[in-house]
Amino acid sequence: MELKKGARVNLTFGNQATVIKELGRGGQGIVYLVDLDGQRMALKWYITPPDEKFYKNLERNIRQGAPSDAFIWPEYLTQKENGSFGYIMKLRPSDYFEFGNYLLARKNFKSFNAMLAAAMKICNGFMMLHRFGYSYQDLNDGNFFIRPTDGDVLICDNDNVMPQGEKSGIMGKARYMAPEIVAGGIPDKYSDRFSLSVILFMLFFANHPFEGAKVVACPCMTETFEKRFYGSEAIFIYSPSDKSNLPVRGVHQNVIKRWPLFPSTLKKTFIDQFSEEKLWHPNTRMIEQEWERIISKVRDELVVCPHCHEETFVDIEDNKFKCINCGDDIDVTKQLKLNNRSLILTAGTKLYINHDNTPDAEVDFFPSDKNLLVIRNLTQSCWHIDTPSGKVKVVNPNEFLPILNGLKISFGSSIKEAAGTKGEVIA
Amino acid sequence: MGLLDETVSVPRRTMTLFFLIDTSGSMEGNKIGAVNDAVVNVLPMLNDISETNPDAEIKVAALEFSNGVNWLYDEPKLAKDFIWQDVVASGLTSLGAACSELASKLSRSGGFMQSASGSFAPAIILLSDGGPTDDYNSGLAKLKANNWFKSAIKIAIAIGDDADKDVLKEFTGSSEAVITVHNIDALKQIIRVVAVTSSQIGSKSSTAGEITKQEQVVKDIQDATQNIDGAETSDSTSTIDSSQYIDDWG
Repeated sequence: MELKKGARVNLTFGNQATVIKELGRGGQGIVYLVDLDGQRMALKWYITPPDEKFYKNLERNIRQGAPSDAFIWPEYLTQKENGSFGYIMKLRPSDYFEFGNYLLARKNFKSFNAMLAAAMKICNGFMMLHRFGYSYQDLNDGNFFIRPTDGDVLICDNDNVMPQGEKSGIMGKARYMAPEIVAGGIPDKYSDRFSLSVILFMLFFANHPFEGAKVVACPCMTETFEKRFYGSEAIFIYSPSDKSNLPVRGVHQNVIKRWPLFPSTLKKTFIDQFSEEKLWHPNTRMIEQEWERIISKVRDELVVCPHCHEETFVDIEDNKFKCINCGDDIDVTKQLKLNNRSLILTAGTKLYINHDNTPDAEVDFFPSDKNLLVIRNLTQSCWHIDTPSGKVKVVNPNEFLPILNGLKISFGSSIKEAAGTKGEVIA
Repeated sequence: MGLLDETVSVPRRTMTLFFLIDTSGSMEGNKIGAVNDAVVNVLPMLNDISETNPDAEIKVAALEFSNGVNWLYDEPKLAKDFIWQDVVASGLTSLGAACSELASKLSRSGGFMQSASGSFAPAIILLSDGGPTDDYNSGLAKLKANNWFKSAIKIAIAIGDDADKDVLKEFTGSSEAVITVHNIDALKQIIRVVAVTSSQIGSKSSTAGEITKQEQVVKDIQDATQNIDGAETSDSTSTIDSSQYIDDWG
């Protein structure tokens, strides 16, 4: 049963929410704007109520709480009334847009930096979800909402989230599901990991990893064909061993344009994750932490070009240091070494030391000397610097140190979840 | 940021939604008025589904059949470009001819299914209030041999009790896919539900797992039908044969 404007629904904890208006509807239900004790919230109301198991699962998820702030998580459950039930969640802010909008080129990331932030946030969301013992199950382009300016992500439709090994009955779209799920298996963290790779690929390259020449040649994508192209016969478009499904000029334009621009680290990871071995051996797929490490590595290779001042990738592994916009050489001699990482220091480049999306430092010019580059402390705590001559300096928040060879930085407690990190400036 | 601004839309397949509309004389008056009204109102909804859908865009084609057959446009159109011209009812029910005509257009060469980036299987909605007055069998046989038709989502709306539900069942392949409506309001609502549901499901990548798109559409429509007064799925109309009941007691 649909709800009318002004209708009141009873929540299990006793309060009532009042329907203000409909916000949208999908396959399963309708989302209403509701008033709950003076606060505007969203109510997802099922047109036809799912079974008791589903209700109980929702109840449990609400009790457990959201795995991270990336999730618009069910917060309150309604009683079973008016022939159905629903749950209350926070409203999605209006500056977040469905991932599908990015695929349709109606929204674009403001920067590669925002794009990488979105990738990082999605990985982190999935990591936390799996850490809580859940699997996502119903994964597709309608579940993610992304802010184009900074890449912040909200993951929605969390009513289908289930403990590992259980089946919600709501299945994701074949295009986003692992081959074993397309073939009829039960989603779990391993299949979620596959879906994560698909989502990340589409985020970076704005085309689907399995949609190339072979798929375009199929005039009618019936369900049988979908089971083949996304399941039993899935071939990665850049598979080094099978060139039959390469992207098609004029059709898969985004990936053709972007693939050569990204660092080898990222491309090799996708080639590996979409290889036959990973397709057919779910437990060999990369865990989210490893994805975070890869994205962090790619972010280390994202710099601001000193010539055209646009963002560009350098490719440390492949020794390619030409700007992807203006083609000029990027000077990579100035670096910040952090364990096995090398952060390239060019003016305007932001430095991310841990895996969150808050920059910890920024490369800038000395205020009165455009020839002297400095590293600005964007954290909330001070850094200690050991100079080559044995002096110790303190760099307070928003202060800076010069980029001079041999300066050793102790980040102290300034980096969340990475206390004690040390780095050295190479110049 | 130059490079990211050059992003283009992902290639989308096309899902064509076909309306096959009985415009025979018996449809005259309220019935045809309701059909016209319902289709005009559902077109913007289909446009919304199409525009926000990264899997496929939705196109609409409409074939009316009475003494003869007539396509409202000679190619499928995006919902936003489909200007609905009210159809007028008169004449016979050439359902057989409509089936043949549909079969000839469900093809890539010279037909309606020419989309450059490919298609999803179409969704076909048949509306009728009577029974065929022409050679229905050969037309349907031709249609049933068509591969596009075989994989299509097929739903029939039987308007009133005079509709030949056996024929509609044959068309859709199952009695569950035949919805009967008994009043004008139900007709309008059902057209909306059927058009929106079949477009939503038909234009998206299928769900992983056992259930087919056709089954999913039928299930969703059956669920929605329960809330519409004067609409029923064929299953719910099956009543116990009283003569057998009496025989048992005889």
